[in-house]
This record gives sequence, C-alpha cells and structure tokens, in this order.
Amino acid sequence: MDSRAQRSFPRTASCLPEIFAFMDAFFEQAQVADSCRNTAELAVEELFTNLVKYSRGGKRDIRIDLARDTDRLIVSLTDFDVEPFDIRTVPDAKTDLSLEERKPGGLGIHLVKRLVDHIDYEYADRNSTTTFIKNLE
Amino acid sequence: MLDIKFGEQGQIVVSGRFDASQAERAEAFLSAVQESREMDLGGLQYISSLGLGVLLATQKRLMSSGHALKLTNVRGHIREIFHFSGFEQVFEIEPNPPA
Repeated sequence: MDSRAQRSFPRTASCLPEIFAFMDAFFEQAQVADSCRNTAELAVEELFTNLVKYSRGGKRDIRIDLARDTDRLIVSLTDFDVEPFDIRTVPDAKTDLSLEERKPGGLGIHLVKRLVDHIDYEYADRNSTTTFIKNLE
Repeated sequence: MLDIKFGEQGQIVVSGRFDASQAERAEAFLSAVQESREMDLGGLQYISSLGLGVLLATQKRLMSSGHALKLTNVRGHIREIFHFSGFEQVFEIEPNPPA
C-alpha cells in the first residue's frame, strides 16, 4: 500500500488545528494505526512550531508531505528560502535536573528525537527539509 | 480541544488534546491553583512540549510555596512522553494499578 498527501500552511501556530485535520484525514485514508498518530502529530507540531519561531529568513508557507508504504509513515516539513537548521545537531534537553534547575522549554526537539525511528535532513537551493520516519506497528 | 476543570473531590481533571493552541487557556486556569492538588490525566489523549512546559511551570510555582501537583491516571503514550521528559524526577506520579 502506498499513499501520499501534500499541503502547505502559513507560518503561524494558530493553523495547528488545520494541520491536525489534514493529518487525521490522511491517517484515515492510509489506514495508519491509532498508536502511531499521536507520535506523528507531536513530531509535526514540534517541528512546525520550531520553524515558525526560529527559522531565520522564513517568510513563505511551510510544506508538509505525508506518505506511508507497507510498514512506515514518512513525514517531511520543507521550509523555503531559509538558512539551514538540522535538528540532529541540537543537544538533548537536560531532563535529569532538579525542579529548581529546570526551565520550561527545550523539550520539543528532544521528544521528537526519542519518539520517531529515523530523522533525515536535506538542504538545497536554500530550501530546508526535515524528514522523519515512524515504523508502523 | 482541551478540557480542564475541577472535579468533585477538588482534583484537577484534564482531558482531550493539550497542544500549543491550548497552552494559554490551561495556563490561565492553573494560575488560580495555589495549593497542592491531584491532577487526573486519565482523559488526556495528547500533550506537546508547550503543554509540558505549562505543567512544569505550575509545579515550580507551587513547590516554591511548599505545595505540589500529584499526577494520577497517567497512561500509555502520555506516560511515555512524561518519561522522556524526565517528569518522574519532578512530579509525584501515581503508579497505575495492574491491568
């Protein structure tokens, strides 16, 4: 089974409900198990909001590509005409600190790296694409 | 949509989806909590890092005055997220009864 979907979204966190609706429709059509949906939506939310907040020079919509093959869900976020940013180089959050030492924030990328099965990064012609794979159970 | 309210025993009951678009509303509700409470997360389906940040900030504020949130009914995907976030170190999380 192969299924694909693609859509672009304005770079604002207020369109998250639209992104989730787009993903839910794809999950239904592609018969993605419930157990993978929350992980995929969490990863997209964290990557998307990270691009909205920190992507230097970004003005254009962010494109989300969804695909599933026999046993994998493959998701890409592409940010156009921006500086490179590879989340694989981001240090892990320090989750073993005491409450006094911990500060809210910094957990998003940390969680993505732990919850998905593989992360790729590509930068070409000033377009930045992060792809993650979640193995379907 | 996130639902957050006080239960009949005074516990905080959270259900639905705690994503970035809900963080401000949850923050407003939790800012009124000034003493130790149980927080029942049995109906929580989804939480992202902004939601985790709201819980962490609430715990920090309460602990500074000798109070704390105790998390109950933390299950499945949510428990996995809390584990990877190191929440076992900063919250009392009630163990789930055997299935």
